[in-house]
Amino acid sequence: MTTHRFKLGLAIRQRVGTITAGAIFALLYLAYHVHHPNGFTAQVVGQNANESVALVLAAMAQTVPVLIGGIDLSVGAVMTMTNCLASHVLSGNAQEVSLGLAACILVSTAFGVMNGVIVVYGRIQPIIATLATSAIALGLALLLRPFPGGEISETLSLLLTGSLLDSLVESGLVSQGVTDNLSVLGNLPTPMLLVFAAGALWIPFQRTVTGRSIVAVGSSETAAFMSGLPVPRAKIAAFAVSGMLAGCAGVFLAMQTLSGNADLPQAGTYTLASIAAVVIGGAVLTGGVGGMLGSVFGALILRVIAFNFRIFEIEPLIQPLVEGTILLAAISVSATRLLRVKNRLDLYR
Amino acid sequence: MKQTIMFAVCAAVFASPSAWADPKVVPGPGFDATCFQPWSAQTKHFQWEKKSGPYRIALVNGYVGNLWRIQMVKTAKAIAEKPGFKENIKQFKVISTGTDAATQLGAIEDFINQGYDAIVTIAVSPKGFDRVIRLANKKNVVLVPFDNVLDTDKVMQVNENQLEIGRMAGQWIVDQLGDKKSGKILEVRGLPGNATDRDRSVGFREVLAKNGKFDIVQVVGNWDEGTGQKVAADAIAVHKHFDAIFTQGGSTGIVRAMLDSKHPMVPIVGEAENGFRKQIVKYAGEGLLGMSNGQSPALVAVAMKAAIAALQGNAMPQLISVPVPSATYKTLKDGENYWSGLDDNMFAASDYPPCGITITAPEIMAKDEKND
Repeated sequence: MTTHRFKLGLAIRQRVGTITAGAIFALLYLAYHVHHPNGFTAQVVGQNANESVALVLAAMAQTVPVLIGGIDLSVGAVMTMTNCLASHVLSGNAQEVSLGLAACILVSTAFGVMNGVIVVYGRIQPIIATLATSAIALGLALLLRPFPGGEISETLSLLLTGSLLDSLVESGLVSQGVTDNLSVLGNLPTPMLLVFAAGALWIPFQRTVTGRSIVAVGSSETAAFMSGLPVPRAKIAAFAVSGMLAGCAGVFLAMQTLSGNADLPQAGTYTLASIAAVVIGGAVLTGGVGGMLGSVFGALILRVIAFNFRIFEIEPLIQPLVEGTILLAAISVSATRLLRVKNRLDLYR
Repeated sequence: MKQTIMFAVCAAVFASPSAWADPKVVPGPGFDATCFQPWSAQTKHFQWEKKSGPYRIALVNGYVGNLWRIQMVKTAKAIAEKPGFKENIKQFKVISTGTDAATQLGAIEDFINQGYDAIVTIAVSPKGFDRVIRLANKKNVVLVPFDNVLDTDKVMQVNENQLEIGRMAGQWIVDQLGDKKSGKILEVRGLPGNATDRDRSVGFREVLAKNGKFDIVQVVGNWDEGTGQKVAADAIAVHKHFDAIFTQGGSTGIVRAMLDSKHPMVPIVGEAENGFRKQIVKYAGEGLLGMSNGQSPALVAVAMKAAIAALQGNAMPQLISVPVPSATYKTLKDGENYWSGLDDNMFAASDYPPCGITITAPEIMAKDEKND
């Protein structure tokens, strides 16, 4: 019994960053819904989900390189590159669209692998390596889409940005009558399910030797190496996962805008926001600490602050100040525990 | 199987006419044609269902890092309190979403869901708004992109004709040079890849090509004062002498580059920065025969006025061309179209008399002080 309680306590202590971020998000999101004229409706939740998913996926992409003690400055750029690629290949009939989707994810994953290889075998610091490759990705994006445009299958967009119910009814898999009984489940926004799917793939991966090695390398690369863990493989895998998730974010952005746009300032915004989200979610930039769920909440906090500006009366020109203050407060709350830590291993005791 | 599903979805989407109600396309002329000029003779007119006021209007701005945008936001807040606007507006909300398209689309959708009647916006991207346009039409919300407009004819938009701004610049330089039909002209471009930059340059070159054999030297100034000053100084160092200059923005920097390099004052066309207009007045006697044409931040006021007119059930042009506010060294007057006591970076063109928008720059600044 005592051991059980001890484990629960440990589990909570290990996840305090995630829990804090989750609580802050819940609080802010509740305030938004209470004051929204149409609050607590599937419509509003669906719109919020559509708006947030690209950043949530970008934050998940950033989590893995941060876990390993690195950073990926190419998240926004890979996302933009994939977005531009998607605007070329995601149209036509069902086979063409499926192939196009596969191509997008493959290309972005390959880009991540390239980042990893440069970091491991080129022995270049991740921050410099990914800064350089981000310029390459943006160059490719501009090459693919010198001007915004392109075509995206509207069908695919409807399926991915609606609610589960809409998708099922529209795809003819179930009839309207049947789905009335599924209202709660049916109103779940499809984009949220995509995030769940990405998370579901992460959990088993985290339990593999490579997955465990990622955290181990982030905690102490020397110790991980001395313990015989596959350090190079873990590093390459971390950047590959990052590239893949950044690609998913780019594809989702294409679903939302039905076009491709090599928007350089936007790429920078997403990279910075993804790093912020990861830190708000309780990760430490020196590596070894952090998690997917925390980063998801981190990204959602960033978004939900902006949601509240649409409800509450705040002078437009001081909105960035308010946003920055809330972010600083959120990071401080998540980080108070880290200030007290004398030895990073304390976080696991 | 997959194809069947796709087909079913397509059928469901396209075969339901009641799914959204686009505004009616009606024959022109539209309402108040002196203010809301149709872009061309081919421009179609829209008519929405009449709604009873006062209305809830939101301004969804994108990027907010430069003075033009700040002045635009201040203008919007000031104009909402003016007669003609005040009695028609129940609630006016302003937000800036940054450069992220997802957030801007989300914000527009959010305001539609909150039951706002009209949304004016500066789009962060010329593409990608199909979904929100459809949603706005479905909910009978009037969406008005202005300044950075969309590549679509499905929504009412407000802008100045950028080609015309370029042509006016070309014509001014041709007129000032008089009998001189050749020579070196410096063209300082804006942000590369941007439609505004492209159109202004195309219009400018079109007029010059028709009126002589000019040698145009092109540099990229990004509409930025510092960048403009640097590239103009470089160009002067290499080419020694220009007969005239056209800059799309950062105009004060270009004049400063001329002063620093002791380049003689020549005919110049620039943007509507207050500082540039001050320079024109100061150096016109030495030969800085200047023209100042601006993309005024008060475009937001025209967009708001158009939104209100559309909500009142008037027929409106799909693409509204707002006359370009222009001043030359002959027409500049302190306290009227420039302000010697106000900041250089402010945009002096701040009103549109044909639209009854007569708010002046000091008024906008006063509004700000009251807010603090």
